[in-house]
Amino acid sequence: MGTVGILDIEMGNLRSLCNAIDSLGVDSRVAREPSVLAEVSRVLIPGVGSYRAAMGNLTRLGFVDPLRRFAAAGKPVLGICLGMQVLSTRGEEGGAVPGLALIPGDVVLMEPDSLRLPHVGWNSVSFRSPHPVLEGIRDGKDFYFVHSYEFRCAPEHSYAETSYGRPFSSIVGVGNVLGVQFHPEKSQRNGLQLLENFCRWDGGC
Amino acid sequence: MPLKSCVRCGLPETYETIQFDEKGVCNICSERTFRDEAIDWKERRRQLDALVATYRGKHPYDCIVPFSGGKDSTFTLNFLVREYGLKPLVVQFNHGFLRPTLLANNERTFKQLGVEVLSFTPNWKVVKRLMRESLIRKGDFCWHCHTGIFAFPMQIALRFETPLIFWGEPSAEYTAYYSYSDQEVEEVDERRFNRWTNLGITAEDMAGMIGGDFPLDPRDLAPYTYPSVRDLKRLGCRSVCLGSFVPWDVKRNTQEIMSELGWKGDEVEGMPWETYPYEKIECYMQGVRDYIKYLKRGYSRVTQMTALDLRNGRITKEDAARLIDEHEGRKPPSLRLFLEYLEMDEQEFNEIVRKTVVAPHVPDFGAEWAPMTWDFDRWHREKATHTDGPALLDSPSKSRD
Repeated sequence: MGTVGILDIEMGNLRSLCNAIDSLGVDSRVAREPSVLAEVSRVLIPGVGSYRAAMGNLTRLGFVDPLRRFAAAGKPVLGICLGMQVLSTRGEEGGAVPGLALIPGDVVLMEPDSLRLPHVGWNSVSFRSPHPVLEGIRDGKDFYFVHSYEFRCAPEHSYAETSYGRPFSSIVGVGNVLGVQFHPEKSQRNGLQLLENFCRWDGGC
Repeated sequence: MPLKSCVRCGLPETYETIQFDEKGVCNICSERTFRDEAIDWKERRRQLDALVATYRGKHPYDCIVPFSGGKDSTFTLNFLVREYGLKPLVVQFNHGFLRPTLLANNERTFKQLGVEVLSFTPNWKVVKRLMRESLIRKGDFCWHCHTGIFAFPMQIALRFETPLIFWGEPSAEYTAYYSYSDQEVEEVDERRFNRWTNLGITAEDMAGMIGGDFPLDPRDLAPYTYPSVRDLKRLGCRSVCLGSFVPWDVKRNTQEIMSELGWKGDEVEGMPWETYPYEKIECYMQGVRDYIKYLKRGYSRVTQMTALDLRNGRITKEDAARLIDEHEGRKPPSLRLFLEYLEMDEQEFNEIVRKTVVAPHVPDFGAEWAPMTWDFDRWHREKATHTDGPALLDSPSKSRD
């Protein structure tokens, strides 16, 4: 299993994620600088806030290329909420902001018809195809969401879908890189199961 | 006004977790039907085989078997040793009220099966204070037992680095906190402990509740404390019910342990002794437990036993009604001892229980006494004889009928 690296990009609920990983009996290290990536076997990217600010911090802290190399080496990466969104090619937030481009796609403002933004609360996640990180989790279970933007990508990269006004991708992935729009660390038993599966995942799918 | 009850098994609306469908059949009955008709028990047995194979031989013991010596834990231990030849560590939590027949059963069982056994007895003075607090707050004095039985074996699992733990019947057999229709193996884990087993009170909570008037050493509540989830995860702990893999049949299970181990039933206060000698024999406070349930909810152990038989088609409604009418709701002679342990009189006891009554039931505190069991005089007394003691509203008969 090794040690999980939890990225500290100065915007995110680091402590709740650390507590969740800790409760699973897994060792973790908070990564405030890129050199820590060499000491961990997998990485979690939390994030709460704006795409622009997150990419700004990632760039300033020097994480962009090291993360790309980490992913290219086949090591598992999981982005959570904003952390999932920055895995995209670009985010549309007051103009186009380039992302980490680890999963092709765009992050855009949701248009959930008459429903309000942000999308906050529990909502069901319907699987589109199987994935090792979804092992032991029942299809259609609820997870906890809080976001206003959604990740638009090719169908083959969307592992699960959720409906808020209209459907959006709640789980995206390419190879050893995965992103979840919801907060597994806030999603009780099913969320913890997903995190536990990620901690055991070898990156293949 | 009689309580609404299940048209099939007779359990009333005050039964924990009960719901009735549009035909008046309760969810416990529906779940039993699901269990019998919709679960692939061959597949479940294969899962058990795989589970055993994963853990066998890799740890100081193959598994932990938490053990009271009642019919369920005896069946579980016998099954695992006989079917799989496992090397278990048997773990007993002594709640303070073990009876002679049970102890004799246990000695016979352990010697015949050839197993290693750990038995733990908590501090009786602390237990008395816990019983009082639990009774007042919850109308259930057994907090120390619920928590001790479910937390202590987990601590032993950690200490002896033995991650697999086998409990007996799954709770779906009796309540709907968990359901057979979820098609899941019930995990007997921290979540279950905190949401249900501990009555919503952790050891930390309890320390705050009794620490004001009781000379509590912070370590006194350690036996009732669930170990950290992190430690259990790191061990790779798996805590499951045998009854999730093997369909539970208490009459058949009892026959099996009687014939294979010479297990003997016993008299339980307030029960029809010939009909139900195999149920709840492990604790001499069982009568008080059942009596409190009767006051709170308007039904008790006889109703529960006949409900199981009605569900299995083993008794007629007429016979069930007759047994309930003849035996249910009597005051147990052990109430005297209980009041002595808690240093309260019956009036105070009734006032405490009255506050925990479950609507719409209205309790009757004027029940007759039930007969004494054969071992009544062997149960612990704080005072020298049982003619002293706390004020009762009337006296139990000295004879056994």
